[in-house]
Amino acid sequence: MFNSLPQYLKDNKLQGDVRTLLLLKKSMERGLVHTLGDLYVVLKGIVTNSPKDIGPFTKAFYQYFLGIDINRGETLDAAVLRSETFKDWLKHQGIEEVEIPDVKDLVESFLNDVHLTSYDIQNILRGEDILEKDDPNFKDTEGADDAPIDTVKRAADYSNIPLEELLERMKKVLEQQRRRHSGGTHWVGTGGASPYGNGSAAAGGIRVGGQGGGKMARRVINDKNFYPVDTHVILQDNNIDVALAFLKGIEEESVERILDIPATITEGVKQGALFLPQERDKIDQKVQVLLLIDNGGWSMSPYIDSVTKLFSKMKRRFAHDLKTYYFHNTIYGGVYKDAFRSQNQFETIENICKLDKNYAVFIIGDADMASYELSKDSLRDWQALKTRFERIVWLNPMDLKYWAGSLTVNMLQQIFDMFPLSPYGIEKGVAHMNRKRQFGKAH
Amino acid sequence: MALTTIWTGSEQYLCDPELAQAFHIARTLGMPLLIEGEPGTGKTELPIQYAKDQNLPLFTYPVGSKSNVEQFVAKFDHVKYLRDSQVEVLNAQRAERGLDPLSSGGRSTERLDDYVLLGAAAKAYSTPHSVLLIDEIDKAPREFPNDLLFALSHRQFILPESGKVIEVSEEDMPAIIITSNREQELPTAFKGRCIYHYINFPDAPTMEAIVRKHFPKIEGILLEKSISLFYQLRNIGLERAPATREILHWLKYLQHFSLDEAIHKIDKKEGLGVLIKSQTDLKKIKQRYNVQ
Repeated sequence: MFNSLPQYLKDNKLQGDVRTLLLLKKSMERGLVHTLGDLYVVLKGIVTNSPKDIGPFTKAFYQYFLGIDINRGETLDAAVLRSETFKDWLKHQGIEEVEIPDVKDLVESFLNDVHLTSYDIQNILRGEDILEKDDPNFKDTEGADDAPIDTVKRAADYSNIPLEELLERMKKVLEQQRRRHSGGTHWVGTGGASPYGNGSAAAGGIRVGGQGGGKMARRVINDKNFYPVDTHVILQDNNIDVALAFLKGIEEESVERILDIPATITEGVKQGALFLPQERDKIDQKVQVLLLIDNGGWSMSPYIDSVTKLFSKMKRRFAHDLKTYYFHNTIYGGVYKDAFRSQNQFETIENICKLDKNYAVFIIGDADMASYELSKDSLRDWQALKTRFERIVWLNPMDLKYWAGSLTVNMLQQIFDMFPLSPYGIEKGVAHMNRKRQFGKAH
Repeated sequence: MALTTIWTGSEQYLCDPELAQAFHIARTLGMPLLIEGEPGTGKTELPIQYAKDQNLPLFTYPVGSKSNVEQFVAKFDHVKYLRDSQVEVLNAQRAERGLDPLSSGGRSTERLDDYVLLGAAAKAYSTPHSVLLIDEIDKAPREFPNDLLFALSHRQFILPESGKVIEVSEEDMPAIIITSNREQELPTAFKGRCIYHYINFPDAPTMEAIVRKHFPKIEGILLEKSISLFYQLRNIGLERAPATREILHWLKYLQHFSLDEAIHKIDKKEGLGVLIKSQTDLKKIKQRYNVQ
């Protein structure tokens, strides 16, 4: 059962192996999984390892268990609307035609069904108590006290369903998954066996308070962390934090203390063979970052903000020494200390090359210009930087597919290792830098 | 696994549903729960409040840049051992001269266990159903999480030198909570052995409920105004956006004034020092709202 799941997760660049399956099985045996919502929560805990995984995981989950494919750039709503699962669900809700204004509500209530967890059911069953205990003052400030109380038809408690039966159902889903192209039905709406959308299995007429099921689903739609964040997408405000985590990799922290054997022996002999362990600090490596940003021309302007934000965040969080310089398209003998590139803020390449060679250098620019601009002198300047700093990479915000078409990009690529200015590219770039460093150490 | 139902929080602590479920999964599976999220969102509070609410013993290990697994599990006190064994020699000499022997504080070099100092982990593993908090693991040197792997996956520690084994059954396993501020990426293998949860920043209604847990008698208008300003400030792109901890401190401060005064302070953006921790941010706010 679910044998294809680990591979599927791997294909989506998530963690997935035999352990995932074993843990999932263990969770089922221990009664953690009663609904599809539970399955989502349990798998999320097992599979995700950082906030950046949550989006791709949610996407993979929808695809694997519900047959909802989210195309690149498509919103979740649109993907749900396209899916067979949703259509089946509508059928079971007795909804024939969808009015445009209702679409959002329908998608939301569909997702609420999908994400209904045992925890929510627990709350729903306690719903009446909650209503009675509700603090009237609290309601006043909420201003929503006149809202009618929903009657949830579908709030069935599945905790009584034996495990075997549940597994049987999941097996069915998997088979249907394979026949997806023939338009087979899915989790939701498989007639009598469906955990959702079927009144017969539901504890009918349970009244719900303002809270209860569905909180999850709303987050799935609204929260950017739940919306599939594609790490291949060029740096924007909402994936800065992901990039930051990758950028963190350039720092090497080593503030541990180690036993100093020679000192222990020398001291011990002096003390008349009373050997007291002597410790010493391992030497820290400082983090020094040099940032060269192309801030000229309209082609770069959309990225300047995100880039400076990213690196200033980095400085605050962990870098001790960050120097930023600016240039336009390419460099002629030097770079500028200020963003306006004033003449008196000019810094020559010679001076830059006098800096400690342990600086990690990030060059950020689209590297796309008229070929005459990238003159021989300019290329020599770039080469000088490359020679001086071992850890140097170029981050390019331009879409990868246009790189090959730009002559200057190709020329600069011959000097520098170039990576896309996306969280994924930054991760690769940092890994590349660290390899360089280890290589340097060995010699 | 003392508790088999989902723990949803206590009088003072509002545990959001997702966190509650993740915590429940971790306890049921006997795995550690790794919580990440912005500073000040109640990561550390969870185990503290859980232990308090359920009356369970809590062991805390605050991780620092010099943490190592010996401190966490158990350490053999070599210095004391060396001292005591040299004292034995010394005492033999003193006895010849008829002097009183020096004390070893009841320790004996024959019993190696006397020199083992138990860390938070060993203590928690030898107390059934306890709660073990490993706070801010991202501050640790890189090898620390990897060293923990063995213990976490085998449910046992071998004490140094004495070789004594501390073991715990899956039923008695302590609830382990590990927090991280994401200042450093943790090894994938380590994360694979934990149930992972990322705390999202609470939305306004949740924040209201949290504030009410702490200040049950707060006036509606004060609550409304403070929360509204709080989220405004969070959204203007400060260097260090205020978090739950800050708004609670701020409200505690505002409670010292009469309602009118407090509201006046909010309107005039006075006394924000509790909420905003950096000088540049304060300047930015003053410029933005045009106040002195």
